[in-house]
Amino acid sequence: MGNWFFILLLHFQPYYPAVTDSIVTITAPEIAVYAGANAKINVFFTVRRGYHIQSNKVNDEFIIPTTLEIDTQEIITAGKPSFPSAKKFKLAGTADYLFVYDGSIKVTIPIKAKEKTKKGKYPLNGKLRYQACDSRTCFSPKIIDFIIFVTIR
Amino acid sequence: MKRIFYHVASLLIASGSVALFAQEKQPMIGQPAPVFELNSTDGKIYSLNQMKGDFVVIHFAATWCPFCNAEAPFLEELYQQYGNKNVRVIIVDVKEDKTLVEKSMERFRFSFPVLLDTDGTVSAQYAPEGVQKDLARHEVPIASNLIIDKDGKIRFYSLLNTESFDARLTKLRQKLDEILKDRN
Repeated sequence: MGNWFFILLLHFQPYYPAVTDSIVTITAPEIAVYAGANAKINVFFTVRRGYHIQSNKVNDEFIIPTTLEIDTQEIITAGKPSFPSAKKFKLAGTADYLFVYDGSIKVTIPIKAKEKTKKGKYPLNGKLRYQACDSRTCFSPKIIDFIIFVTIR
Repeated sequence: MKRIFYHVASLLIASGSVALFAQEKQPMIGQPAPVFELNSTDGKIYSLNQMKGDFVVIHFAATWCPFCNAEAPFLEELYQQYGNKNVRVIIVDVKEDKTLVEKSMERFRFSFPVLLDTDGTVSAQYAPEGVQKDLARHEVPIASNLIIDKDGKIRFYSLLNTESFDARLTKLRQKLDEILKDRN
């Protein structure tokens, strides 16, 4: 149900075209905010069927967590991204679990537009870092660059 | 009726066997293992050629690979059990720098060498032809396990299968026992 909601939502919002590598597709709808006001940036990413990526919280310091960063370019301040709950993936033959994402995921970043920012549309650079596995392979960590447009009213 | 039943049963068993065979089929078996010479985290140089005369278990790994990390304690266990039977164990770490690998390996306290394939060339040589064609060659062997025999031939090659992950190296041990028994 959640996945269909995201797809429907995307059809009613202007957005920067989806960015994809072979495993993850990212869509970041444009947002508008008044100078000095709070808002939320939503970033949607979809993990290709048959793959999973490590969650943002990992239980081993060497496992690569999924992270999302925004270059605020001094027009906004950004809070900590909020990730959804992860699924447990049991490592067969062990008592160990991984915490992973698959399917469609929404990450929310609280922002505040700086007081004296001039009106206009600003492209902010974003980076998603992740490490994926499918049933046969674990892929080296990857970074996807994407853009979020923020309009200051 | 009985005859039909037996024919159907035979067909089912045969097709199951074929499916199982296809699933279990390992790449590069009987082929000479690609030779290499790599530095280890302990500063020494290790060459596969120098290990001829011994059996060699190779595990391709990366610090970020969760399946590699889950398997690590069982590799040490394997070495402890087979090390005095002319079986060497090595890890080949793929495309990472020494400092990171050393830091990761500290927790496992391996008694065997961890070799650094810093540019991925060796790992790429062990990527079976036609397997995972869309993947960078050096990524294909990560989390796989091989047995190289005394003559330098590949006798066992298990690529990662996350759905039936064999952290405890059960199948590798079975094969190793079989090879060691044949040797005697």
